[in-house]
Amino acid sequence: MIVSKAFWKIVLKNIGSIISPTIVLLMFGTISATSTSSTMTYEARKPAIVIFNHDEEVGMTKSFISYIDKNAEIKTDYKDDDRLKDALFYENVAAVVEIPENFHQDIALGHKPEVKLRSSAGYVAEVAKVMIRRYLTVAEGYAATNLSEQALVERVDKAIVDDVETEMQAPVDTSKFAKASRYYSFANYTILSCFITIICLIMSAFNRTELRKRNLVGAIDIKKMNLILLKNCCLYALAAWAFYVTVSVFVLGTDVMFTTQGLLYAANSFVFAVMATTVAYLISLFGLTAGAVNGVQNVLALSSSFLCGAFVPIEYMPESVVLFAHALPSYYYIDANDKIMNLSDYSFENLLPILLEMAVVAGFTILFVIVANIISKKRRKIA
Amino acid sequence: MKNVIEVKHLTKSYKSNKAVDDLSLTVKEGEILGLLGPNGSGKTTTMNCILSLLKYDNGVINIFGKEMKPDAYDIKAKIGVVFQDVAVFDELTVYGNIDYFCGLYIEDKTTRAQYVEDALKLVGLEDNKGQYPKQLSGGLLRRLNIACGIAHKPSLIFLDEPTVAVDPQSRNNILEGIKKLRDNGATIIYTTHYMEEVEILCDRVIILDHGKIIASGTNDELKSLAKIEEKVTIEVPDLAPEKLAGFDKIKNVSEVEYDNGVLKIVYGKGKNNLADMVEYLKANKINYNKIFAERPTLNDVFLELTGKELRD
Repeated sequence: MIVSKAFWKIVLKNIGSIISPTIVLLMFGTISATSTSSTMTYEARKPAIVIFNHDEEVGMTKSFISYIDKNAEIKTDYKDDDRLKDALFYENVAAVVEIPENFHQDIALGHKPEVKLRSSAGYVAEVAKVMIRRYLTVAEGYAATNLSEQALVERVDKAIVDDVETEMQAPVDTSKFAKASRYYSFANYTILSCFITIICLIMSAFNRTELRKRNLVGAIDIKKMNLILLKNCCLYALAAWAFYVTVSVFVLGTDVMFTTQGLLYAANSFVFAVMATTVAYLISLFGLTAGAVNGVQNVLALSSSFLCGAFVPIEYMPESVVLFAHALPSYYYIDANDKIMNLSDYSFENLLPILLEMAVVAGFTILFVIVANIISKKRRKIA
Repeated sequence: MKNVIEVKHLTKSYKSNKAVDDLSLTVKEGEILGLLGPNGSGKTTTMNCILSLLKYDNGVINIFGKEMKPDAYDIKAKIGVVFQDVAVFDELTVYGNIDYFCGLYIEDKTTRAQYVEDALKLVGLEDNKGQYPKQLSGGLLRRLNIACGIAHKPSLIFLDEPTVAVDPQSRNNILEGIKKLRDNGATIIYTTHYMEEVEILCDRVIILDHGKIIASGTNDELKSLAKIEEKVTIEVPDLAPEKLAGFDKIKNVSEVEYDNGVLKIVYGKGKNNLADMVEYLKANKINYNKIFAERPTLNDVFLELTGKELRD
């Protein structure tokens, strides 16, 4: 078909513009995968954790602090928030745990009290986060069985000791998934950048007023032509996504990617790639020039990647920025990557938050498709 | 000859401004019809309405005996359009562009390859087929634009000001190409504000102003509306006022104008006016540098009918 032929000729002509974000991803992935020796890092030191306890140190609260004390080094000399931020930045402190008021009662009653957690970047922080979340998951699980607080403490203490011992013997897995998480979170930038650039450049070429007029007087139904273009955009997106996943298999290894978590990373990135395709298609309807496409691509891909934690952990961002990031699909994609990394088992309860974040990204996709349809219909009415 | 296009009572308004006002026209098979008018006279709007690129308020448009609609693909398959603005892909070569637009009509690869070669030859771009549009000059780009519009060998061709901003060599090439298309049997609608092109190319001319047809006919029929037989221009460096007054009294002279050493004399009728004028200058001992006569142009017709020039 002549339209498809022209589409791929234009892709090849513009291939240079997507090489640089792809190379950056490859470099980032390779450096990330070879930068740390995970086993050494884990065994060398326990994570340093600062606790702010707003509750009485009794019952479940006491159990929780004692669990942290057993598995980490509790730091008590960080009262000043600025110093604490510096310590997090320089990784002198792996995580800050804030236990809310009435924690021990609320958790016993099955209320899931919110334990605030801030962490630094890097492997040690990831281990600390996994450790803390594991305690809370186990505690919330047992609390659902209506035990008394005393019985709950005993059951959790017993379960968590066994559990932690198992985890401590397999530290490498967590580290590898942290690398996978970083690779796929960085892919947020690459996918957005490459998809917006190529799809916008091609669709803008076909949607230029003069060319549209020529296509409109042609013997092919313009709706059919748009459908062909859309199909080719999807084919390009699928090929690019498959390429990035294949690269991740080589960079991160089969022992990471050929696991359930590896598949989840791939699935999450697929949902995001579909969303990125619709965003690119939507932008392309505005008939931007090549220069404008470049500008839009930079603004959207770079800013959303930065704001949503693809480059710098989101914990370092001011609250207002984090709040704003919630309005962007990248936030849910990157957060899902973090959740996949911290996945301890594949129960539906653990998978649900990840699936929900994928659903949010899919929701954005539907929204963009609806908006694109409205704009497309308006543009069809030339007169 | 049968009618290829029939337009009846076409009206198109933009808010309160009537771009096309109750316009009716027919185009006969095998002819080149010129749509002539100044910028904003409604030429392009008329063409876009006929092509169903614009919705119109009133009127009936039939092409090849069928009603023209946006989804009339059987009619569109026989139409070629060359728009005023160059419409090609920057990312495709000259050959790639022609092949693409031809491919919107012709699926068979072998036939298409032959058609593309024919189009390249027609516009004289055989040596440029591997080049990209950005590597072409303005004139060559216009030729490519034409090749893209006519490569599928349509029987009805719309050309909207195809020679705007084109060098003389390319213009001649384009005009020759259009004549060849007509010789090959195509019916052509040619919109322009260059009256010289209309005079060279068109079998019949429609003059538009403010969306209305103000005159139509062959070149000669239109020129007869100008009420001018001949215009004589004489370069006379010094002409005394009493001698200037004498020109008004010459037989058949309807208008005399003297400005910057150039004397323009309009004859309403009569034959051998130029020879008589030479005699008159000699008899009255008026020295002159240059003298020449012109037949009336379509611009004179337009001036006669509207009181303004085509390029105003």
